[in-house]
Amino acid sequence: MRHGALRFAGGAAVAALTVLAACGGGGTELVETRPVSGTWSWSLPAFFPEPKVPADNPMSAEKVELGRFLFHDRRLSGNGRQACASCHRQDKAFTDGRGQAIGSTGEPHPRGSQQLSNVVYNATLTWANPSLVTLERQMETPLFGESPVEMGVTDATKALVLQRVRDDSGVARYRERFAAAFPGETEPITWANVIKAIASFQRSLISGDSRYDRWLAGKAVLSDAEQRGMTLFFGEKAECFHCHGSFNFNDQIVHAASRIVETPFHNTGLYNLGGTGAFPEPNRGVFELTARADDMGRFRAPSLRNVEVTAPYMHDGSVADLDEVLRIYAAGGRQVVSGANAGDGRANPYKSDLVSRIDLSPAEQADIVAFLKTLTDTAFLADPRHADPFASN
Amino acid sequence: MSVSTLNRSVAALVSTLALAACGSDDGPQSVAIEFGAFSGTTAIKCGTAVTGLGSGAVTAQVKDFRFYVTNVRMVKSDGTEVPLVLGANDDWNLTVNNDRVTLIDLEDGSGSCSEGTAASNNSVKGTVPAGDYVGVKMTMGVPFAFNHSDYASATKPLDVQAMAWSWQSGRKFAKIEVTDPDGATGTWASKTFNFHLGSTGCTGNPASGQTVSCTAPNRMNFGFASFDPRSQKVAVDVKALLAGTDITVNKASAPGCMSGGTDPECLRVFESLAIDWKADGSGTGLPISGGAAQTLFRAVAK
Repeated sequence: MRHGALRFAGGAAVAALTVLAACGGGGTELVETRPVSGTWSWSLPAFFPEPKVPADNPMSAEKVELGRFLFHDRRLSGNGRQACASCHRQDKAFTDGRGQAIGSTGEPHPRGSQQLSNVVYNATLTWANPSLVTLERQMETPLFGESPVEMGVTDATKALVLQRVRDDSGVARYRERFAAAFPGETEPITWANVIKAIASFQRSLISGDSRYDRWLAGKAVLSDAEQRGMTLFFGEKAECFHCHGSFNFNDQIVHAASRIVETPFHNTGLYNLGGTGAFPEPNRGVFELTARADDMGRFRAPSLRNVEVTAPYMHDGSVADLDEVLRIYAAGGRQVVSGANAGDGRANPYKSDLVSRIDLSPAEQADIVAFLKTLTDTAFLADPRHADPFASN
Repeated sequence: MSVSTLNRSVAALVSTLALAACGSDDGPQSVAIEFGAFSGTTAIKCGTAVTGLGSGAVTAQVKDFRFYVTNVRMVKSDGTEVPLVLGANDDWNLTVNNDRVTLIDLEDGSGSCSEGTAASNNSVKGTVPAGDYVGVKMTMGVPFAFNHSDYASATKPLDVQAMAWSWQSGRKFAKIEVTDPDGATGTWASKTFNFHLGSTGCTGNPASGQTVSCTAPNRMNFGFASFDPRSQKVAVDVKALLAGTDITVNKASAPGCMSGGTDPECLRVFESLAIDWKADGSGTGLPISGGAAQTLFRAVAK
């Protein structure tokens, strides 16, 4: 871990190291709680609940750091061409700027990469899958999935990929890192542990230091436009908060003290093929899994934290920018006037009753967009603890 | 687990002793139920042309041919069902408490099955108490207790990645695929017809991290009132599976039938399985009349 600690080169981490070196003589306000060996301390804003962590995969600094290497390591794909980070880039809140992601073999994915800030709080994972409720299980889809191929690990390459990790002689020093992350295991380099480490890294991706968060803490000011946008966002007029109202700006939250977890999915009127209510295949939301008409076009409301950097928007990347997002919600859905997807989404019979036409002026829409941009956590997007450890080598 | 393992060991030991005793009347008797890949009455394998498939009676090649079998019972003449106790856990068989599963693998990784594995397994082997058995019943599927386990760390034979079905956090109960024999230069509009059977509409509990239910279980029950494993085997008939379906086109949804609740290519396929499936997505995924009318499996002479 010493090696890893040295790599913490920016911002708060440097401040913390400085303070430690000076034995508390600097008077610097310590906002970071540094993890120590074998344990983990969350560094959370006061209004974030303690995250839920599976009993069989407790957090540790060693595991998170190992996960950071694995997450950014292209050797983890079948053909060695793609890392998790290829589609989940830190500077874009771990999206990739594409409407639809592209896998290691070049095969396009029907949907866009998820952003990962605060993913530890997600009750279900991906865009619309009620069965995926842990990061460990979710990860098996991109690692091993066949349709579409993402990382492309198969029965034929499963052992080979693991051997690449065992044989590593570079900066990752995997043998040491696995031993430190999974103490007491005689052969810790296993797929189960690869997955546990990456999940731990993902759980460490806490974003709670946006201008909005600092404004809540009395440490920043928001402009008049941003405050007007916030009032609209949380008010009964725009009603954005119904689906994006939690501390994480979504409506599916699980945390350490959760007892009953609701997992709503919503049809927001993006499509209405031929007036039937249908969404284009294979992006029909929860319907793809359940075949229930009521589930047509229902997707999970994503967190809006860092939404400024996660364009293009919606599950299929079909909305280019936030201005267009606001226009669609103001209209109560989207009318697709021509092409294979033509249809008036505003009239989709399966549309959520929370999405209806709102009398929002262009200025009001712009105010909401201004507010959404206060959710950008620039420190998170450049935090060296989440960064590509191979980049500087 | 350890108790169960012990029981298995004892059972295996007893079974070995019984064999050594040359079929003593009192000890458990060994049973091996063999499966074979067929198209109608013709045995088929990877790399050879299979003719007369689907509504267009087209020629195809086998691309994959694997499925899980669970809950095998030998049936006595009075209708009593006696569980077939599997041998020790190995590459193909797993028993934990009362849940038992065997992976039947009728592809050998050769020819058109190049994405498969060289290893194969054509039978369920186990023991039953001595007695007169006239029939057999079983289920194609994976028990719920096993179905939603992690693929990466699962016990054999649930660790086969090709049988993982991540979109429902479960397993493919069956993976039977046929492909255009001429590949990229062939005439099929959709190059491969995939039959993937599995539970759909699955939901997890975010608080526990477990998969808790699936709306359509899609486990296929079948059996034969008269079956003698010494002289007969179970034919898995791909021609019956694909009867009435145009396997060269994909009208909608997944290519082939991946158990999608409204996928038009599933209509006739699920008829052959005798599992309740309806075009409007309201099918229950439960066996119809215990699978009595299924056509996929047949008892044939060895």
